[in-house]
Amino acid sequence: MSNNDLIVGLEIGTSKICVVVGETRPDGTLKILGVGQAPSRGVRKGEIVDFETAMKCVHEAVVDAEQKSDVMIRSVYVAVAGGHIQSFNNRGCVILPEERDEIDDQDVEDVKISAREVSIPAQNAFLHSIIQHYHVDGQDGVLNPIGMLGGKLEADFHIIHGVRTRIQNTIRCVKELPLEVEDVVFSALASAQVVLTQHQKNLGALVVDIGGGTTDYILYVDGAVKQSGALAIGGDHITNDISMGLRIPMARAEKLKTEEGSCVLGNCLPGETILLKDDSGFAGKEIERETLNTIIHLRLRETFELLKRTVEEEPFINYVGAGIFITGGCSLVNGIDHLAGEIFEMPAHVTHAQTLSGLTSAVENPQFSTAIGLLKYAQAVQVDRPRRGITRIFGRFFSGMR
Amino acid sequence: MIQLSKNYSLPERQEEPIPIKVVGVGSAGSNALDRVLLDGMDKADLIAINTDVQSLASSVATRKVQLGRSSTHGLGTGGDPELGYQAAIESADEIRQAIAGARMIFICAGLGGGTGSGAAPIVAQLAREAGSLVIAFATLPFSFEGKRRAAQAQDALSRLNEIANAVICFENDRMGDMVAPKAGIHQAFGIADMTISQSVRSIVNLIQRPGLIRIGFDDLFAALRSQNGRCLFGFGESDTDNRAHDALTQALKNPLMDKGRMLSEAAHVLVQVAGGPGMTLSEVEILMRELGRHVRDHTQIVFGTAVDGKMGNRLSVTIISSLASEDSIAAQDTSPPSEPFLAPPPAILEQVEEPPPAPPAIDIVPETESEASPEPAPDDLIAVEPPVAAEAPPPPVPAPAPSIKKPAPRLIPPKKKPVVEKEAKPPKEKPVQAKQEVLQFEPVTRGRFEKSEPTIVEGQDLDIPTFLRKNIRVK
Repeated sequence: MSNNDLIVGLEIGTSKICVVVGETRPDGTLKILGVGQAPSRGVRKGEIVDFETAMKCVHEAVVDAEQKSDVMIRSVYVAVAGGHIQSFNNRGCVILPEERDEIDDQDVEDVKISAREVSIPAQNAFLHSIIQHYHVDGQDGVLNPIGMLGGKLEADFHIIHGVRTRIQNTIRCVKELPLEVEDVVFSALASAQVVLTQHQKNLGALVVDIGGGTTDYILYVDGAVKQSGALAIGGDHITNDISMGLRIPMARAEKLKTEEGSCVLGNCLPGETILLKDDSGFAGKEIERETLNTIIHLRLRETFELLKRTVEEEPFINYVGAGIFITGGCSLVNGIDHLAGEIFEMPAHVTHAQTLSGLTSAVENPQFSTAIGLLKYAQAVQVDRPRRGITRIFGRFFSGMR
Repeated sequence: MIQLSKNYSLPERQEEPIPIKVVGVGSAGSNALDRVLLDGMDKADLIAINTDVQSLASSVATRKVQLGRSSTHGLGTGGDPELGYQAAIESADEIRQAIAGARMIFICAGLGGGTGSGAAPIVAQLAREAGSLVIAFATLPFSFEGKRRAAQAQDALSRLNEIANAVICFENDRMGDMVAPKAGIHQAFGIADMTISQSVRSIVNLIQRPGLIRIGFDDLFAALRSQNGRCLFGFGESDTDNRAHDALTQALKNPLMDKGRMLSEAAHVLVQVAGGPGMTLSEVEILMRELGRHVRDHTQIVFGTAVDGKMGNRLSVTIISSLASEDSIAAQDTSPPSEPFLAPPPAILEQVEEPPPAPPAIDIVPETESEASPEPAPDDLIAVEPPVAAEAPPPPVPAPAPSIKKPAPRLIPPKKKPVVEKEAKPPKEKPVQAKQEVLQFEPVTRGRFEKSEPTIVEGQDLDIPTFLRKNIRVK
């Protein structure tokens, strides 16, 4: 195929649908050719609720991307999110035959399969199984066991799974366009590929992707994924809170949130107000800035506290050295890094996709982290480099689903 | 007598811009002055007056006067108003020279310290003797600076109130409200200076600018009449599409304005609207109508408007008013002396006769000074009292009280105001708090998530706004 080196990432978000077109160069670098987007309708909390409308929106975004990058899009990598996505860690084990003591490719494949031999709810399907570490005869922290000598090979995997039908809905929405779905990727995993450097993954980092409808997180320790998941709370909830608290329409609440809102309290003058203009530009309603900020603050604080309780169910958060990396559209709320830093008691940063060439304006917007991350993920999978964090058995999980 | 001849030359120059001088007394005063200069002020001469040579040297003012060459030797006063007073008396001639020929004198001083509290009243007095109108811009110290400084400041303020034609008083505590709580202290002080500078400039403009509807001294003093009261001052400028509204909002936002709430209690409000040639009648009308909502029906609004080509696209609003202090008795007491302010010439004549009493004051004080300055023992106080027979402050026994009251009698020998007036402290009470309204919510709703699958975590439906679930009242 002529566009073999062309990679397209598609994210069906709650507030917008975003398509990023990139190409891989022979030297392994990734260049972004164009970004298409369309406002999203028919999606709530990261899941499609109105199939027809959502499909139209995806089509719009794809057409936009085609025009901007001047290519034909045939196949895409799709990001999925939603509160149904869960994860756990599991260890697989393989005993080598008596007559052989050198570990080969097949043993590594076998150990992966054995790691997946766990029970997940019947309606769920595997999304990813990501290798963390191998253990050879009890020796910890082996990165690549192939060629090593040993009698017993064990492997720790991080397994991400979600409700099968909901993932299928997303796939179908794209397939009906018609576009080929190359792979389905959990959105936080995709984001982490571009917002974190390998060094940060090694130090330990928590990536929090706060989008319109969901808050997805993924936690790296020692360069491996240890924890991941999603909360069905996002920027839409803030907007909804503002709309209800101040009794203004959703569209205006959204504007107020992005243009004026902050989640830091006590940083504005007492009695400082924001004047809302009505459609004709005349003075409308006056809103106390502190009130607006309180609403945003309360929601975000609750979200972060919930997230903190969730990640603290396992001990890994204590090994995070690089801090929290917040991305996604909602990370643009003023002061969100201060709030996160305060709650998690560690450094927090608002980040966007790093280390890519082309279209810097798109790269530097945290709203596109996931879609750009898809490209990086795809690149890693296509090259099939043995890279930790992304190694997965390609296509096998969904072979029955598509 | 020399002053007399100068005074009489004044009226002839009325066609030209009114000669105005801005005097900064003390370090705080010269900081404010620097700010005035940096913000651009070509319509007035700026004079820095200080005891501290270092501070004086760093000032950017065009003219500088060092106070007390022999009494302080170029050092500061160490927070002693007595010393500031001495220094000012010593350099009275230089001050006279510097301020001569001005029709109006603005005195910027930070009260509470030595030079500001001690010298500013003297400068005001000398200016009045020279026949100038005096408007003092005084800052009161932050409350955390201690009670003693606050008392010194109150002392100096009441004296300024007696001498100056008008006093515009800035409480630093309220300046603090202007800056965000997390802003640096440097910024907080800077804001105070900026506010003073803005007020000075807008009053200068108010008077200098050729007005379609002119605002005169009489209007200005009428608006500032109630002494010891809280001065309301607001200035706003805007060049947006909705500039009339924006400028007014900005003016009302001024910390001395308390969001316009205090305006409803004022009896006399002076408003000047200035703009470029493009200013329209309807803009002024909108603005005045909007302002009308903030004042009571029977409030007298003195309205002035001016067109200034330099304003370009901008439109500025200056609001000046004053409130009687909370104990209206004090306000009543002080209203009679305000009458002469409306008719400056007689006041000048009165004052001109006074210089003789002033020099004796110089003589009197040095004798007591030597005893009084070290530490105010009760004995010293008794020694102090004789020269000021009329004053007779209640014999203060507690140690801190005398130290504060001590300079009071000596500083204003000609004036007969009882020191008791200090009791009339400027209003410290909190501004009127907005009432917390209770919003009635319908049975808990989920807004746009009404039809979507609920997100239930830990038994809570997270689609319901957090503040509702946590029962936190937002306005």
